[in-house]
Amino acid sequence: MIPSEQAQTKPPSKYRSQLRIYVDIMRVIQRESNEAKPTRILYGANLSHDRLVKYLEELKNLGVIQETGTDDKIYSLTQKGIEFLNNFRRVETFASAFGFKI
Amino acid sequence: MEFIGFVIAIAVSYQALKGYKLANERTLLYLHLSFLLLGAGLAIDGLANLIVLLVRFHRAFLFLSSLGYTINFIAQVVAYGLLVFAYIQQTRTSVSQVAMAAAMPALLFEHNPVTELILLFLLVYIATQTGINYSVNKTASASFVFGAFVSLAIAHLFFLFFTFSAPVFFALAQIAQLFGFLLLLAMLLRVNHPS
Repeated sequence: MIPSEQAQTKPPSKYRSQLRIYVDIMRVIQRESNEAKPTRILYGANLSHDRLVKYLEELKNLGVIQETGTDDKIYSLTQKGIEFLNNFRRVETFASAFGFKI
Repeated sequence: MEFIGFVIAIAVSYQALKGYKLANERTLLYLHLSFLLLGAGLAIDGLANLIVLLVRFHRAFLFLSSLGYTINFIAQVVAYGLLVFAYIQQTRTSVSQVAMAAAMPALLFEHNPVTELILLFLLVYIATQTGINYSVNKTASASFVFGAFVSLAIAHLFFLFFTFSAPVFFALAQIAQLFGFLLLLAMLLRVNHPS
């Protein structure tokens, strides 16, 4: 399970949860034909540079994305990442059918 | 019919648990517990009725039917109360009194107008919330969930009519309840096998 940053009493969607940010980053990578440069992810996921570096590191440690290239870093989803996104999409559709947002 | 409802409720509960484990979202935990309770209530009620049927309505076993109904009623009130609570948390409305109704102590009833009214009240609230969700989302899955809770509300309306000595409504209520659970099954199949 990927931990959530949400507090006990969560505010209505003003702030994104950690999980939501992870998913946004991974979806940007997927949208970019599974080869995304940091700048594209930064704009696509609407993050500051510092936060992007932090989250990319965390996602790498979780084994859902991988980094290639030395000067021009490229990020792509691993098989585990693709499976996670598919599972998340299912959960999102299920929760949304009841009117719950995740 | 209770056993079909039980299987579908457990399937929905399992899907919600999988979602909770993945997303760590509390509303999914409420959904899981809610359908787990619904399933348990239906299983106990179904089992009690089956035993009464198998012993050919022997006087010594008739209390099982009332007991099964009472347990099912309590399970449903808590389950729908949990769902109402989840919607209240999500929408942040201040009608927490509705959730309080879930904690109402229940007595031994056999399709009593009061118990049916409580369930109807909770289900109308949930159906309204899922209806609002459908009007915003317009997805097939949302329409199935909306239809399911409308059917379950109609089922309890029919159970209410049944308590006023109208036996035909018992069969209609059972059909409406089954239809509601089948709609939930359709939603589950759609979520897991999107076209």
